[in-house]
Amino acid sequence: MKVITLLLVFLQPLAANSLPSEKRKNGPLVQDALSSVQVSLQKSSAVFYSNKTSKAFLYGTVVSDDGLIMTKASEIEEVESYYVRVGTKKFRNPVVVSRNDIWDVMMIKIEAGGLTPVDFSQPKELSHGTWVVSNGATERRFRRPRAGIISANKREIPGGSLAVLGVGLKEENGDLSVGNITEGSGAAKAGLKKGDSILKIDGADIKDRDGLIAYLKEKSPGEKISLTLKRGEEEMTLEVELMARHKLYGQGKTRNDQLSGGEAQQSARRTGFPMILQHETMLNRNTVGGPVFTLDNQFVGMNIAAVNRVEAFAIPGKELHQIVLELKKSP
Amino acid sequence: MDLKTMLMAISLAFGTLVYADRPDFNDKEAPQTLGDFREIQSALQSHLERTRSATVCLQMGGGSGSAVIISKDGLVLTAAHVTGKVDEEIKVIMEDGREFTGRSLGLNSETDSAMLQIEGVGPFPFVEVDLKDSTKLGDWVFSLGHSGGFDKARGVNVRVGRLVREAETTVQSDCMLIGGDSGGPLFNMAGELVAIHSRVGASREESMHVPIREFKAHWDELKSGKFIGDGGFAQKSEPGSGFLGVATEEADKGGLKVTELWEGAVADKAGLKIGDIIIEIGGEEATKDLMADKLAGLGVGDKLRIKWISGGETKEETIKLGERP
Repeated sequence: MKVITLLLVFLQPLAANSLPSEKRKNGPLVQDALSSVQVSLQKSSAVFYSNKTSKAFLYGTVVSDDGLIMTKASEIEEVESYYVRVGTKKFRNPVVVSRNDIWDVMMIKIEAGGLTPVDFSQPKELSHGTWVVSNGATERRFRRPRAGIISANKREIPGGSLAVLGVGLKEENGDLSVGNITEGSGAAKAGLKKGDSILKIDGADIKDRDGLIAYLKEKSPGEKISLTLKRGEEEMTLEVELMARHKLYGQGKTRNDQLSGGEAQQSARRTGFPMILQHETMLNRNTVGGPVFTLDNQFVGMNIAAVNRVEAFAIPGKELHQIVLELKKSP
Repeated sequence: MDLKTMLMAISLAFGTLVYADRPDFNDKEAPQTLGDFREIQSALQSHLERTRSATVCLQMGGGSGSAVIISKDGLVLTAAHVTGKVDEEIKVIMEDGREFTGRSLGLNSETDSAMLQIEGVGPFPFVEVDLKDSTKLGDWVFSLGHSGGFDKARGVNVRVGRLVREAETTVQSDCMLIGGDSGGPLFNMAGELVAIHSRVGASREESMHVPIREFKAHWDELKSGKFIGDGGFAQKSEPGSGFLGVATEEADKGGLKVTELWEGAVADKAGLKIGDIIIEIGGEEATKDLMADKLAGLGVGDKLRIKWISGGETKEETIKLGERP
């Protein structure tokens, strides 16, 4: 369903009957009143800086006093090397501990002690209209608070399998075959050809499209699978590396995505989350990863996607707690 | 402005402060304490159930917009660029997924205001309208809409902000909007409808809405189904572009005999057959000249009432003109 397009207009500033920008929702006067929440943000947020450009490119959420930090996996892996600031301290050589691709989070460790982790002990259901506060822009020593409200129902965001082969699939007369192959995909690199019949995946018979998709749903990007194919009279087995759906296909194509500023503003990965809180705080792809607090300094979630012009998603605190416990256990 | 008028203006400005239900936070430069934020929150939340239930999604011709119900018998306000036309059938979807049929009433193509009537049995949930025009620059407001189209799992999308700019036929807020919100409602913190979403600026913090005073200025025309103005928010269909899909000749005993029928065109779909005699067009006696005159003045989507005799039986239909093949 196409949405009715909002006309984009360019405004003539009209000073006489317009509210000065410092008094507006995201203006400095409004921020000033949030100073008590800013203290929590300051203590429990990590800021990731690129070593190459020294620019802040992502936030993190401090989850242990000895330096475990959660952040958004698909964003942080875009930057080759980085350092971290928590509060005013700078930490070099952060280490990746583990990751969870379903939630698109990564656990990172810095050599630190005495940090103030977020408090998972007070899970709270937030109703529509409740103010929440996130990190806005960052300066070297200071994280600016930015407020928004809970704007829609808490829910799952469907997204299809994360790992893709990069081919169209055709099902005809009980035969599963390869359709169009996306350039640059694992399938293209492995040498699959349009018209190849798919017989087996990792040695197991695959009968149909649904079976293949269900199998891929359990796989992660970067994993390899072996495909047994029939090409003409010849049978062959090829190794194919799976790729992340959002990397191969991207997501920003609709008119609403254009209205939302495209790649500069939106997170590359913004679908496929088992549960999210939605709020309307004005974030962009570089200001996700940090914690979300209520006005009472209660931790309620971690920002995981700047979705579009009007929507931001956060992993709820309760779910994030479970993820953290699992990632701590995993080797 | 001389001093006397200026003092008068100032005293009038102070006069607005004495509204009994006007919350304090509206008259502060910005929230000064967390308490001010909490007051904004509780005012907003106290109106959400009612305002959400009256905020609907409109669907037509593959497009989707928003709108709000303002009376228990289903009168709806929306934007002209959402309905696009007068007297058009439009699907109305409530937040809980219930669907109704609506029909667009009038619209103002210059300012982007429009009305619609739900053709179901009420009572419908509805909101109060700020007819006194009591909402001022700097007041806190909230915006609802079916952003990006209807999404039952997500529900109505809520946003908060302030009125940041005022002009006679447009108000601007910093509540963020996106496609699909068009036609949706902007409320003040008394839960009254202040304006209807119309368009956005380049920045996410620039949203333009049509104020209620603009609806009020053309209320009767909008309600009676008039197409107002010649502006960019809706285009009248081009006269003469409508296609009925019949060829006729004057019959011996009066009326027009159908000699050819375009397969699949609107006349065919309405049930006309070759050999039928059209006896009335738009309530007047059918002649070749009348048919030509009527069609020359009507465009795609416009309607024409036709009465004809088919196999001894008299039939009557209002036919919506199609596109020329």
